[in-house]
Amino acid sequence: MSMLDNLADAVEDRLGLISSWEMFRDRLVHGGVRLRHVFPAIIAYLFVQQAVLGTVLATYYSPSATDAWASTAYIQDQVTMGWFVRGLHYHGTSVFIVVIGLWLAQMVLHRAYRAPREFTWWAAIGMLGIGLALGLTGNPLPWDQAGYWGIQVELSIAEQTPGGDIIRTLVQGGSDAGNLSILRLYALHVFVLPGAFAGLVWLVSRQRAQHGLPAPQSMSDADAHKTTQRYFPAQAFLDVLAMAAVGGLIVALTISTHGAELLGPADPTENFQARPEWYFLFLYKLRMFFEGPMEPVATMVIPGAAVTFLLVAPFVDKVAGKTGRVLVLAGMGLLMTGTIGLTAYGLQSDAADEEFQKSVAAAEASAQEARAYAKMGVVPLGGPAVFFNDPQYRTKMLYKEHCQGCHALGGIGGDEGPSLEDYSSRAWVSALVRNAADPRFFGNTKMKDEMEAYPEADLPQEQFEPLVEYVMQLQGDQVVDEALAKKGAQLWEDELECNACHEIEPGEEGDGPNLHGHGSQAWVARVIRDSAQGDLFGEYAAMPKFGDKLSAEDIDALAAFVVLQRGQEPAATPVAQVEPTESTPEANPAEPSPDGAPADAEPVPEVDADAEPAAEAEAPVGAGPGEDQVPAAAVEAEPEPAPKPKPKPKPKKKAPAKAKPKPAPKPAKPAADKANGRKLYLSKCKSCHGTDGKGQTTFGKKLELASITPMGVSTIKKAVTNGVAGTKMKSYRKKLTAQEIDDVSAFAKSL
Amino acid sequence: MAQGEDNDGAAGGSRRGFLTIGFSAVSVGLAGAALGPAAAMLAHPLGNATTSGADEFVPVGGRTGFGEDPVKVDIYADRVDAWNRVVQVKVGSAWVLAQGDELVAFSTVCPHLGCGIDYVPGERKFLCACHNSWFTIDGGVEEGPSPRAMDTLDTKVDESLVQIRYQRFKQGIEGKEPIV
Repeated sequence: MSMLDNLADAVEDRLGLISSWEMFRDRLVHGGVRLRHVFPAIIAYLFVQQAVLGTVLATYYSPSATDAWASTAYIQDQVTMGWFVRGLHYHGTSVFIVVIGLWLAQMVLHRAYRAPREFTWWAAIGMLGIGLALGLTGNPLPWDQAGYWGIQVELSIAEQTPGGDIIRTLVQGGSDAGNLSILRLYALHVFVLPGAFAGLVWLVSRQRAQHGLPAPQSMSDADAHKTTQRYFPAQAFLDVLAMAAVGGLIVALTISTHGAELLGPADPTENFQARPEWYFLFLYKLRMFFEGPMEPVATMVIPGAAVTFLLVAPFVDKVAGKTGRVLVLAGMGLLMTGTIGLTAYGLQSDAADEEFQKSVAAAEASAQEARAYAKMGVVPLGGPAVFFNDPQYRTKMLYKEHCQGCHALGGIGGDEGPSLEDYSSRAWVSALVRNAADPRFFGNTKMKDEMEAYPEADLPQEQFEPLVEYVMQLQGDQVVDEALAKKGAQLWEDELECNACHEIEPGEEGDGPNLHGHGSQAWVARVIRDSAQGDLFGEYAAMPKFGDKLSAEDIDALAAFVVLQRGQEPAATPVAQVEPTESTPEANPAEPSPDGAPADAEPVPEVDADAEPAAEAEAPVGAGPGEDQVPAAAVEAEPEPAPKPKPKPKPKKKAPAKAKPKPAPKPAKPAADKANGRKLYLSKCKSCHGTDGKGQTTFGKKLELASITPMGVSTIKKAVTNGVAGTKMKSYRKKLTAQEIDDVSAFAKSL
Repeated sequence: MAQGEDNDGAAGGSRRGFLTIGFSAVSVGLAGAALGPAAAMLAHPLGNATTSGADEFVPVGGRTGFGEDPVKVDIYADRVDAWNRVVQVKVGSAWVLAQGDELVAFSTVCPHLGCGIDYVPGERKFLCACHNSWFTIDGGVEEGPSPRAMDTLDTKVDESLVQIRYQRFKQGIEGKEPIV
């Protein structure tokens, strides 16, 4: 015992820990415990909490342009409690700023800024500045759309001040945003600013040690003296209760918002409507009153004046009796109403701004998608590379580049051409028949006066419905009410005379587009290729001929994408493509072609030089120079197929998720080529069915896919060829050759 | 100083005790509210895989490429590393050699402390130069601190193609235990 005591004494003698605690504990609260004194304790608590949470976040976050978004998405969506910790840290900053603001107001109200406590007042102003700066440097760190665009706008504002271009280059670490920008913001956010903040906390603490907490103004010195208490335990207890209330508020905010928002990855090519965090909204709105050459008034003069006023407030307070006091109160009142008013105005005008709300909704939808793909891992090529995980990535990019300018989809896009929202669905067709000249359809095209409107008065519902049903039937791939469609067919010819303009026999030209197979993937592909063909839009066509610009694969993919917009996969057996210029005259266009085999495919199996004859398929097949031929019979026991027989395979540069052009159709081979099957499987099947065929992928789980491993090769082949009705499994009849279907089925069977 | 004590004293010791206990309880609760989730987040790798991939058979070359002399092959695979998906990166390497008709693959990771094992052609032996662990051509320990023989990796030959499943094993122990 006494040895322990001696040890404790020795440590105390050297470090004085107990005596410092006692000094802290015994600080004086003049005039007794008061709720108004809780602010510094809350601020100290928030500072420590932010530091702890920030440190934990730093164990997962990677400050680089390639990794920042993906690592934040990992925190948000995959790490245990990651969303919660990030949410606490994010909302902590907001609350932090509010608490410092309230503390400033409290000090003004109670004249606590006066001598000898000016340093506390100045420290609080500094804390507010650092708090805002922590928000400013912290928000871009996820490098999502909001963060990236936010800092772009803020730096542009800074750039417009004298010497601002230097500031921008310094903060950004160069002329453009990138790795150095994130690292500089990160270094400021985690080292410099918290360090400076800690200094201010120390300053406040020193003043409190020196002078204790001030008694209320109204109290006489004698009363104050009589009621003075020690800091601990009564004021300390009140402080910790206030801290708990604030902590509870942050937890509640975090839970109710499911943590901090994370939008899609920073993409400089997107049109993102940047908004600052709410605590900068007042500055943002202030700028709107001073446009053009007056802008520095909002960005520098007014904020500069406000800060100067705050700094000198303790001295102003002393001026000429009550005048100074009134000046300070009036100034502070003006500042607070101005800030709160502008913030409220900003929030309200954004809430009422439909365009802005639309853009927010679009950004959120894109974020959902990006974050779902991020769970598959992001190729380290920067945040936007997350979209490489989208099997339709390339097609979507093509759509954006070539189609979006004129066609609307998902609320985005021009109206020069018809909207592709629900394209060719029953609702779309119905609305078009009612009024084709609507801007949603052909209202902004050369065709706008060509087809008359059929309002209810001219075309009553009992005629309209059969007609639409018939038009839907003409698409060729729709489930229709046959009887109703038959009725519609009669109306079409006899009563309504639609056939005066619209032909329905393949290839025939009329005034309006031939409607045989309209809206099918093949038809859309033809329109994309050249909409000015005689049986399409002829002289009214305004769309560029994409047949000259895009490959056949890209056009097919785009057509499939457009057709997909009515919420349905392209038909398993689309109406045969009518290509008067390209297809053979003998081909009967009304008959669906049995498979996608190109016309020039040799019907007789032709053994190519490298492949072994079918009879020897059982024996190990000598590898050709480029790839291995694995016979179907040997397929069962082999989970992994055969790549290149080099001692050291070099890493293959795969262009992620790019729709690769189909390999040129080869003459039919005698046995299924499993190596080729594997290649096809990996590019077309893996994203849903998984590398093991069990369907346990992000998409597979969403679609509740059953494992394909128990299926026989004929079942698989049938599904690949025809698709599976009522599921997302589509037909590959048109996409793969018969040989390729055999190959991929054989490989899938081996899983 | 005395004034403060007087005021506290007037309220009585029991109030002081209550406040002290209250202060401690709320402080602990408050700290826990932030530290709990923070600790859960830090401990995430204990209960969740943060890397994946490379657990399947990977082709490393044709059967004819390997004979009685060990050949070092690098094993490439797709990996998910926390938030990244990296395509066809090196995950490890192996010494591959024929023992009679059979092919054997030894991990190049030394069972002692994980340095890279090299092959010394003149001696027909393996050597981990970090701590001078010598292994025979069969992978057995000959000399030095390694607690066990070189780790073999699962190998199979399909249609003349050699495939290896790469794994890592715990170091410094006598048994060969894969790291999961």
